[in-house]
Amino acid sequence: MDLIEIFQQVINGLSRGAIYALIAVGFAIIVNVLKFSNFAHGGVLGISAYAGYLASSQFNLSFIPVVLIGMVTGAIVAVLVEFIAFRWIRMQKGQLVYFFVTSVTMLMLLEQILVIRFGSFFDTYPYDLIKVKFINIGELSISVTYLISLAVTIVAFGLLIYVFKKTKIGIAIRAASNDMTTTSLMGINTGMVIIAAFVVSGMMGGISGVLFGISTSLSPQIGQVVVKGFIASVLGGLGSLTGVAVAAVALGLIEVFLVSTIGSGYSPVVIFALMIAFLLLRPQGFAGVSFTDKA
Amino acid sequence: MDFYIVVGIGIAANSIAVLGTFMLTGMNGLFSLGQAAFMGLGAYISAILVVNVGLPFAVAILISMLICSALAFLVGLASLRIRQDFFALVTFGFGQAVIAFFQEYVSVTGGALGFSNIPNLTTPTLAFVSLAVGIFLVWGFRRSHFLRDSLAIRSNELAAKVAGINVFKHKMIVFIIAAALTAYAGSLMAFHTRYVEPKMYGWITTVTWIIIVFFGGRDSLTGTMVGSILLLMAPELLRFTTAYRIILYCAIILIIINVRPKGLFGTWELSIKPLLRLFKRKKQEVS
Amino acid sequence: MGNELLRVENLTKRFGGLCAVDCFCGTLEANQIKGIIGPNGAGKTTILNMISGVYPPTTGQIFYKDQDITKFQPHKINHLGIARTFQNIRLFQNMTVLETVKTAYSWRAPYSAIETLFSSPRVQKFEREIEEKSMHFIDMVNLKDCAKSNAQSLPYGLQRRVEIARALASEPTVLLLDEPGAGLNQTEVRDLVELIRRLFIDLSLSILLIDHRMDVIMQLCEWIYVQDFGECISQGTPEQIQNDPIVIKAYLGEEINNA
Repeated sequence: MDLIEIFQQVINGLSRGAIYALIAVGFAIIVNVLKFSNFAHGGVLGISAYAGYLASSQFNLSFIPVVLIGMVTGAIVAVLVEFIAFRWIRMQKGQLVYFFVTSVTMLMLLEQILVIRFGSFFDTYPYDLIKVKFINIGELSISVTYLISLAVTIVAFGLLIYVFKKTKIGIAIRAASNDMTTTSLMGINTGMVIIAAFVVSGMMGGISGVLFGISTSLSPQIGQVVVKGFIASVLGGLGSLTGVAVAAVALGLIEVFLVSTIGSGYSPVVIFALMIAFLLLRPQGFAGVSFTDKA
Repeated sequence: MDFYIVVGIGIAANSIAVLGTFMLTGMNGLFSLGQAAFMGLGAYISAILVVNVGLPFAVAILISMLICSALAFLVGLASLRIRQDFFALVTFGFGQAVIAFFQEYVSVTGGALGFSNIPNLTTPTLAFVSLAVGIFLVWGFRRSHFLRDSLAIRSNELAAKVAGINVFKHKMIVFIIAAALTAYAGSLMAFHTRYVEPKMYGWITTVTWIIIVFFGGRDSLTGTMVGSILLLMAPELLRFTTAYRIILYCAIILIIINVRPKGLFGTWELSIKPLLRLFKRKKQEVS
Repeated sequence: MGNELLRVENLTKRFGGLCAVDCFCGTLEANQIKGIIGPNGAGKTTILNMISGVYPPTTGQIFYKDQDITKFQPHKINHLGIARTFQNIRLFQNMTVLETVKTAYSWRAPYSAIETLFSSPRVQKFEREIEEKSMHFIDMVNLKDCAKSNAQSLPYGLQRRVEIARALASEPTVLLLDEPGAGLNQTEVRDLVELIRRLFIDLSLSILLIDHRMDVIMQLCEWIYVQDFGECISQGTPEQIQNDPIVIKAYLGEEINNA
């Protein structure tokens, strides 16, 4: 590989990693607040990806409205999921494992809804959604789709940081992530905080769904990409969204690099090996937040 | 063969895999997201040994179970000492790696096209007796201190350690038994469907087993088995198109877990003692 | 010093920048009750956690019967004969008192996992044996009537006793009690002190007791270590401690109102 090619791969990897980071952060927000792996996030992502697809193919909307529609759909579906799958269990103070079980059930259910509406074929976003395909700088030709995903991700992260640092509801979500009981003792309505967390997480999921759909292709199984979020959120370390985002970008880079060197076939084997090596070297995750059970 | 017997063999074989998930996830709260990979390994290894190497069926099954136990040991070594979610992650990665291996090692596994021409050696008797034996084994396991240890570790790992339980060893034993059971189920399935392909063994299959366990009741062996039979039979009996079928299936699961969070059977176990007592009373009435 | 069971040397634990315990030294002899006293956050529980293997010390060593057990896992330490209870009670969900106490016997099971799979008769024989033994310890902490009730549904004071019974069922030589009086009312504390004294005599145990309440420690212990902000500021018999100006200044002076 020459330098140009490596640079090209880095750009591809970063944009793939950026989408993974969006997925992973949306996933990790719920992990932090409710302490379980919310695989239904994949369903949210899938539905939003198709909502964006309908908006662009049926109504010929342009890129930005499509992303916004994906975002709003994501928020709505995420709240619906919370109502259907988690609310009752939460009210009955059920164990965390039940959230996990209902969340995977929701993922399957949402997937099948897509199968009924769109059939189990592959669809693609309209070709002219993004007019210019490549920018050429010297020998380098950079995919505009990738650059745009990168840009949208950065904007989305900017907004997320603003929400978490400056707004009341963002601070409440962070507080609830830290300690739900104390948060409720401080007089904060935790029910509202949880819904807010699902809204924020759903918006992230919606954006990532649309971007992932544009940069690859659409199938009802698109939601299963949520496992990238799962991987990144575990590797990233407990409670650190930055760590999760870093892990997700690293995962994207490694995947793109592996595909261009050894091909997509054996790359899960290498990723498995890397995963184990990483966990043995840094059991506390990327962010380095160590965790001890207090006796 | 009769349609119902064919369906029955499939249910029996898959229920053995569910037994493995019951021990691992139900009893011990260990979420392996790569459990189906053991089924795949069991299926591929035994099929290849019989078709390509010409080993007897029983020997092939035994070898595949041994290999899966050894792999479970290695995966457990890397993942069971650390935090619980790492176990889920590592097993997930393991599952993906195994599937990639099935897909890419074309010369032996047949790649994405699958491996076919497996002889039909899983007789109805073999399948049903295997399930009965499987249930008996897990039942025996639950009548020993291992059930208490499982519940103790599940609810408070630190207290369990301090009470003298070697948590790592316990989890390892459970993981290996579960892997061996799942591998056996895989062999039975392979010699029943006579065809295997990589995508049968993805993480969604694993998750289906986990759902079955929680649907039937994680604390009840009876419940898990009844749940397993019901949920594995449902797709065959509900005669809609696949997608509607799965939606209905998911809806039922959501309702049951929402309404009865302890699962269909809670902690209730079928026991033969009341039946025996009833029988004795009848005898007395007769005499 | 012939009967020295437990010896810790220069035990230190740092959490990040915070030094929870700084160079703690101490011994415990056979048939002795010693106490560690100090206000909240003085590092008492941390010392116990290190001895019982819950987390390793940053530096320092722990010896049990002259064997270095510093890096041992908690279950291994339990097998050697050191049992403990927890300040914030840690019982198991959906288990009866009897089952909870029985868990302490699991590691002594003479059979392997394979034998249980095939329902070996040895399994049920062992179960009957430990049921008898467990009932003995449950009786000892006066919980015989509750043996079949769910442990976590018992009143707080009784849950403490379940924990003690579970620790006793390990048949330990050394018993570590982490704030056994926490959350109990005056009557319960009095009963508890009686219970500990009785266990000490009947089972000829060696006990290391942690509490921040003067009354419990003073009534039971023959030797007391005083911890404050991670440091051992004094040690001696109850009389010496009560009259030590450093202790009065650092501990009693602040906490006397609460006691």
